[in-house]
This record gives sequence, structure tokens and C-alpha cells, in this order.
Amino acid sequence: MLGSIDLGLIYGLMALGVYLTFRVLDFPDLTVDGSFTLGAAVTASGILAGQDPLLSTAMGTLAGAIAGLVTGLLHTKGGINPLLAGILTQIALYSVNLRIMGKANLSLLREPTLMAGLQQPVRLLGTWTSVAIFAAVALVFLVALDWFLNTDLGLALQATGDNPRMIQAQGVSIHNTKILGLSLSNALVGLCGGLIAQYQGYADIGMGIGLIIAGLASVIIGQTIITSRRFVFATAAVVLGSVVYLLVIQVALLIGLDPNDMKLMSAILVVVALLSPRLAFVQRFWARRRKRMMAAVAEGEEVRA
Amino acid sequence: MLEVTGLRKVFFPDTPNEKIALDNVSLALDPGDFVTIIGSNGAGKSTLLNLIAGEFRADSGGIAIDGVNVTRMPVHKVARYVGRVFQDPMAGTVPHGTIEQNLAMALARGRARGLRMGVTNAKRAIFARELANLELGLEHRMRTDAGLLSGGQRQALSLLMATMGSPRVLLLDEHTAALDPARAELVTRLTAQAVERHHLTTLMVTHNMHQALTLGNRLIMMHEGRIIYDLAGEEKKRATVEDLLHQFEQIKAVSDRTLLA
Ligand SMILES: Nc1ncnc2c1ncn2[C@@H]1O[C@H](COP(=O)(O)OP(=O)(O)OP(=O)(O)O)[C@@H](O)[C@H]1O
Ligand SMILES: [Mg+2]
Repeated sequence: MLGSIDLGLIYGLMALGVYLTFRVLDFPDLTVDGSFTLGAAVTASGILAGQDPLLSTAMGTLAGAIAGLVTGLLHTKGGINPLLAGILTQIALYSVNLRIMGKANLSLLREPTLMAGLQQPVRLLGTWTSVAIFAAVALVFLVALDWFLNTDLGLALQATGDNPRMIQAQGVSIHNTKILGLSLSNALVGLCGGLIAQYQGYADIGMGIGLIIAGLASVIIGQTIITSRRFVFATAAVVLGSVVYLLVIQVALLIGLDPNDMKLMSAILVVVALLSPRLAFVQRFWARRRKRMMAAVAEGEEVRA
Repeated sequence: MLEVTGLRKVFFPDTPNEKIALDNVSLALDPGDFVTIIGSNGAGKSTLLNLIAGEFRADSGGIAIDGVNVTRMPVHKVARYVGRVFQDPMAGTVPHGTIEQNLAMALARGRARGLRMGVTNAKRAIFARELANLELGLEHRMRTDAGLLSGGQRQALSLLMATMGSPRVLLLDEHTAALDPARAELVTRLTAQAVERHHLTTLMVTHNMHQALTLGNRLIMMHEGRIIYDLAGEEKKRATVEDLLHQFEQIKAVSDRTLLA
């Protein structure tokens, strides 16, 4: 169970990346599946080549950023539809990742990874110690992302997703903000891939398949649990969503569901979450909420949706 | 301040749907000029403003602001010189951003955006002072999402955002058209105040002839992509709505005649 929390916290970084594109930029970026494996491939290859694990992880992160950059350029300068731009990069990355890894699977067993200290002499992964460490890491990144989104540049990025015409009229190139957002997002995803590879002890060419669904599910679950967008609540919700998602998967496996059905389960979960705004009882809930909020605004209170 | 020369814009050229939206339009504004623009639907008023703002590319002709050639500049570059308010109250603000965040985005117009906090206490003080001028009480709810404001409140906020940092040219495209009469009146008054206070060179499109006559120091009438009537100074002050209607009738008669001929 604690192992799932470990993983949920690490995958939380990927979910933050997905949040940045899907929610903040309103850009459905499918690069994720490829950039995750890319991060893992670069990191694992670096470590196996005898490089410092921290440097290797940084390289994996950078590689993810470059993947995002490519998708951003394809979309903005090439005028390619966002979904297609992401898929093109993702597919191309499959070959690139195989080239980098040289084979379909790289083992990191007994290599000096960032997690080595947590594996030997005592195995600390899946204990409260590792949970605390990964929670601290996730906290640093979610606070940093929240801070960034509130800078001048970050506000421009948010506006790019919310009202592109307006922010252009305020002097912002939405090409630049999209490219920046995609790069940052995929840097987080690449970092996540590198960390997961070290956690599991291997990088695999198929490890990123369908990951985007897990990311989306995390974002949706998190924002259902924590609806406030004040302070760091928005980004904290995403990481929490990732942990809950991993726990749900774990429980599903425990009660005997086939691991091979997990992707189907995840997809159904996301579909239900996406459709739910159209369901009558959910609409009534939101209508009531809106009404309360409008009433509060009329009274001059400070409110954020 | 603003120099438009021989501007031409054709939509769907060389097709059966070809539409000459602007036909050789020239216009020169001195600093502080406040020009109101009237004209029938499809006359090319919005097209003119969109071309100046960089939203469309001109087929020929040139636009210069303060001596800078902006004819081929993209929207975000022209934004350094231009403040805009759109007709749609939704268009001018970021709905999920707070009032203070929206103002911060406008304050950064024309400057490089970096990693400094968007909203600081120093900026909040400026925003509160500016919002107080609107007399809508918005200074007390700067952390409310702009999306929760009424159309009139949002248009007043958009106007404040557009005039922030004293742009060289202020472009207003029927920015009171979507509001009820009382709110339209308010935003009109705020517009006049802001233009006066910052000595803004302004182009304002309106369908309200009374408004077109009472505001500003110059009035132009457009029809089928051309400027067909240009009133300034004393002449404008003396003009009445009847005069404008009469002018419209004449133009229509002429174009009907050429159409039939
Ligand atoms: N993006 C566009 N694509 C194609 N045609 C356009 C476009 N924008 C404007 N037009 C056409 O150009 C002509 C001028 O339109 P414009 O919007 O400038 O008129 P307007 O004077 O602002 O009218 P209104 O008073 O209705 O706002 C119209 O015939 C219109 O159909
Ligand atoms: Mg128009």
C-alpha cells in the first residue's frame, strides 16, 4: 500500500505536467506517452554509461523538455492540430527511445541510482520514510509550479488557455507561451519517467503506453476532491489525485481484477468523469454552487470559483 | 500619431464571394484626437480597427503609429502601442483570473514578462486606486474572478485595462453595444474620463449617433469600405442626428442608383 503512495507521489510530477497542458493551456498534449519513456531511457542509459545519477536524471528531464518543444513547434510554427502534433512526436519518440536504449528493456539492478540509498542496506522503498521523501519532492515541485503560474509569465500562460485573443492584445505571443508550457510540462513528465525507471529498477520501451489517461484521471480525481483553486490547492489537488488513482488501482488489483484490464478501467474512469458534467444531478450540484457564489459576490465578498 | 494610408482589404479575393471590406482608406490622427466612427453594418469599421491592431493583414496600404510602421506587425507586437476594448464583454478579460490578475496582465503590456510576481502589494495599491475611479466598488473585491462580474462591470474593467500604461492609440469597437442603457451610459462616461485624463488618441466605433456626436472632436462616417463623411471641430459641434441621418440617406440613394445603373 505504501508502495502505491510512493508511486502516486512520483507519478504526481507527470500529472502536474498533464495539468499544465490540459487544464492551464487547454492543449490536449499526447506527447506524454513518448516523453515519459524518453526521460526513462535517457536517465537509464546515462546511469548505465557510468554517469552521475542526478546528472542523468537532469538529462532525462531536459530530453522531455525538448520533446515538448518539438510538439510546440509543430503546432505553432507548423500549424498542425494540437492532438496530431502530440501524436506525431509520440510516435517518432518510439523509434528514438529504442535507439537510445539499444534494446527494449534496460535493467538498473544494482546500479548507483538515486534510489540506491533507499534500497540498500535496508530496503526503505514502500515505507513511511520513502513516502516522506517523495512527498517532500512532490511538494517542492507543486509549490514551484504554483509560484511560476503566478509570475507575470505564468499569468500569461494561464491566459493563453483561458482567453488567447485577450492576452495577445496585451502583448503576449501565444506561440511562445504554448511552446514554453509544452516544454515545461514534458520536462516534468521526463523527470517522472527517469524517477520511475530508477524506482522500478528498469526502463522499458512500453512503460509510457496509455500514461496520458493516468495523468488525466489524476487531474480529474484531484480536482473533484479539492475544488478550490486558491494558493497551492490547485497543484496540490493534482498530486493528491495521482496518489488516490494509484491507490484505487492497487485496491482493484487486490480484489482480484486482472492487471491487463487496468487500462480499460482507467479509460472508463476518465470517460465517466468527462461525461459527468452532463449528468443531471451533477448539473444541479454545480448550479447550486454557482448560485451561492453569485449571491456571495453580490454581497461583495471575495470569492474564487 | 496614427497614420493610415491607402488601406485596402479584400476578403475571399478572386472568388464569387469576394468582398472589398476596405477600399483605399486614408486617415490621419493628431495626438489626443478622439474620433468616433459610424456607418451601416458591413461598412468596414471593425475591419479598419482589426487591421490597425494587427489582427488582419492589409492587402495594400500602410499603418504607422507614432512614426513606427506597424502594417505587418503581429497582434502581440502592435499591442505595445495599442489598447483595445472589444464589443463582447467576455472578450476583454480572463474569466478564471481574478480582477487583480487581469489588471496585472494589462500592466505588463508592452514589457518583457519574466519571473516576477504578477500581483504584488505595490501593484495592488495602484489597482485599488484605479478601480476606485470606476465607482463600482470593484476595489473591494480584487480577488473575485473576472468571470463572475456582470457585463457592464467587465466592460468597465476592460476599459481600465486597455487604458493602463497610456497606449498611443485606444481602439474601441462598439464597446457599449452589449450593455443595458444605464450601463452603456456609465461605460461611455468612463471612456470620456479616461481619454481626457490620459490624453489618449482614440478611435471609437458606435451605432449610437447621439454618442458619436457628443463624444470626441471628430466624426467619420463609413460606407462600403470607404470614409464618406468627415466632420471635425466646430462643424461637428453644430451637427445634429438629423444631419447624420440625412447624410446616410443621400449615400444610400447614390449607391442604390449606381447599383441600378
Ligand atoms: N474575418 C472575415 N472574413 C470574411 N469576411 C469578413 C471578415 N470580417 C469582415 N468581413 C466582411 O467585411 C465586411 C466589413 O465587415 P466589418 O466587420 O468591418 O463591418 P462593420 O462596419 O464593423 O459592421 P458592423 O456594424 O456590423 O459591425 C463585411 O462584408 C464582412 O462580411
Ligand atoms: Mg463591427
